[in-house]
Amino acid sequence: MGTFGVKSGLAQMLKGGVIMDVVTAEQARIAEEAGACAVMALERVPADIRAQGGVARMSDPKMIKDIQAAVTIPVMAKVRIGHFVEAQILQAIGIDYIDESEVLTPADEQHHINKHAFKVPFVCGCRDLGEALRRISEGAAMIRTKGEAGTGNVVEAVRHMRQVMSDIKRASAMAEEELYAFAKELGAPFHLLKETARLKRLPCVNFAAGGIATPADAALMMQLGCDGVFVGSGIFHSGDPVKRARAIVQAVTHYNNPKILAEISSDLGEAMVGLTIDNNLKGGQYAGRGW
Amino acid sequence: MSSDTPETIVIGILALQGAFAEHQTILSRLKLPSHPLTSLLVRTPQDLAQCSALIIPGGESTTIASVAARTGMLDLLKEFCQNVDKPVWGTCAGCILLAKEATGLKKGGQELFGGMGVGVKRNGYGTQLESFEVMLDVPALRDPERPFAGVFIRAPIIEHVNESAPTSISIHTEIVARVPPSCLPAELHDAAETSNKDYTVVAMRQGKKFVTTFHPELTKDDRLHEYFIKRCVLGLVAQK
Repeated sequence: MGTFGVKSGLAQMLKGGVIMDVVTAEQARIAEEAGACAVMALERVPADIRAQGGVARMSDPKMIKDIQAAVTIPVMAKVRIGHFVEAQILQAIGIDYIDESEVLTPADEQHHINKHAFKVPFVCGCRDLGEALRRISEGAAMIRTKGEAGTGNVVEAVRHMRQVMSDIKRASAMAEEELYAFAKELGAPFHLLKETARLKRLPCVNFAAGGIATPADAALMMQLGCDGVFVGSGIFHSGDPVKRARAIVQAVTHYNNPKILAEISSDLGEAMVGLTIDNNLKGGQYAGRGW
Repeated sequence: MSSDTPETIVIGILALQGAFAEHQTILSRLKLPSHPLTSLLVRTPQDLAQCSALIIPGGESTTIASVAARTGMLDLLKEFCQNVDKPVWGTCAGCILLAKEATGLKKGGQELFGGMGVGVKRNGYGTQLESFEVMLDVPALRDPERPFAGVFIRAPIIEHVNESAPTSISIHTEIVARVPPSCLPAELHDAAETSNKDYTVVAMRQGKKFVTTFHPELTKDDRLHEYFIKRCVLGLVAQK
C-alpha cells in the first residue's frame, strides 16, 4: 500500500478528465453528475480567496467528510505549502489525493512537504520543468502547471505549460554532459531530468490549472500537451454551472474535434469575470509561491 | 485482393476518459504471426464502427458513462458489449461498465454497458489509502510460472458470477486470476469464511468477454493483452 505505483497510477486513471473545485456537498454532486473525474474540496474557491484576502488554510475536515460522503469519485483537498500536519490530518480522514497548493497561504517559505513519508498521493504545481522535477523528487505523484488561480485568465496556464514542454524538448535533444549542465540551470535532480529526456515527457501525469474558464480554454491546454485539467472558480462562478461543467468535461474528451467543440461551446451563459494579471492583481500572483 | 490475405484486426480502445494511451502503448508492441494488428482510440460512433474488438480502460466509470451518453455513444456501446460475438475487455472502471450489475454507485446510479454476467461493487477495497500492488499467479498466460504484477487502484470487487448471463446461451466462464484472501478488506474476508462466498476473483473470461479489476496497462507486461487477443479476439482454445 502507498507504493509510488498506486500513487502515480491513480493520477493515470484521472487522465482525460476534469477535476473541479467544490465548496459544498451539493456542488460536489453537480460536479459528479457533470462527469468530473474527481473533486477538490475547499472552503473558498481561489477567486473568493483573492477577493476576501486573509490567510487561506486547509478546509474544515468535517466539510471535507461531507463531500466524501456525497460522491463516489476521488476527493482531493489542499494543504498549505510545507504544512505537513495539515497533510497528516487529511491522510487521517482518508482523502484520495492532497494538493500542496500555492493557492493557500504558504506555511514554510523554504521547504515543501516530504511527500515520500505519506501513503496518500500528492499533486503539486509548477511553472517550469525544474520546479516540476523538484516536486517529484520530494515525492509528488502528479504535477499540474500553476497558471494563475482565481483570475479566469488562461494566459499564465499557457505560459507555464509551454515552458514545461519547451524545457522537455530541449532536454530530449541533449547529450548526457549537456544534461548535467541543464540540471544545474533548472535546479532539477539529474536522474529525474535524464529520465524525462528519455521519456520525452514528465515521468508522471501533468494536468493544467489556473485560469481555465471555457471549454475552449480546456481544449487549448489539452492541445498544448497536458493530460487533463483542473477547473477552480471557472465553473461555480459562471452563469450556469451545470451546463458549463458538462461542456468542459466534453471539451477535454473531444479537444481535437473543433466541430464538437463548437457545439458544446454554444449557449453556456456568462463565463466568470476575468482579471488582468499584472502588479495590481488583487491578492497578488500566487504562481510565485513555491521554491 | 487475394482471398488468403488475413484481415487486419482493429482493437478499439474507448478514449472518453482514463488510461487509454497506456493500453495503446502495450498494443503497439504486440505482434501476431497470423494477422496484422492495429489499435484505434474510440471517441465517436464512427470510430466504434471500425472496431473488431474493444478495450474499456481504467478511469472513472461515472465520467466515462456520462461522456458516452452525451456523445451519443451509450446505446451503441451497450449494443457492442452485449453482443456475444464481440470481444470486449474491461480493466477496473471498464470492468464496472462491462458488468451486468453494480453496487456502490453514485446517488441515482449510473449507466452500465453490460455484457458480462457478473455483479461488482465499486471501490470495493475502500479509498486510495487501500490501493495496493500484489503479485498474481495467472496460469493461463505465456510463461505461467512468472507472476503478473497486479496494480489495484480504488478497485472494484466481483461479488457474484452468473454463469449463463447475460444471454440465454450458456457461456463457459474461466476464472483467470485470484487475489490472496489476505488482500481483501477485513469484513469481506470474514464474510467469505462464514458464508462460502468468494470475493477473490480479479480476472475472468466469459466467452469473448474479459474483465480484470486491476490495471495491466500500468505495467510493462504485455501477457494479459496477448491473452485477450488470443482467447477472445482470435478465439484460440487453451493449449493443454
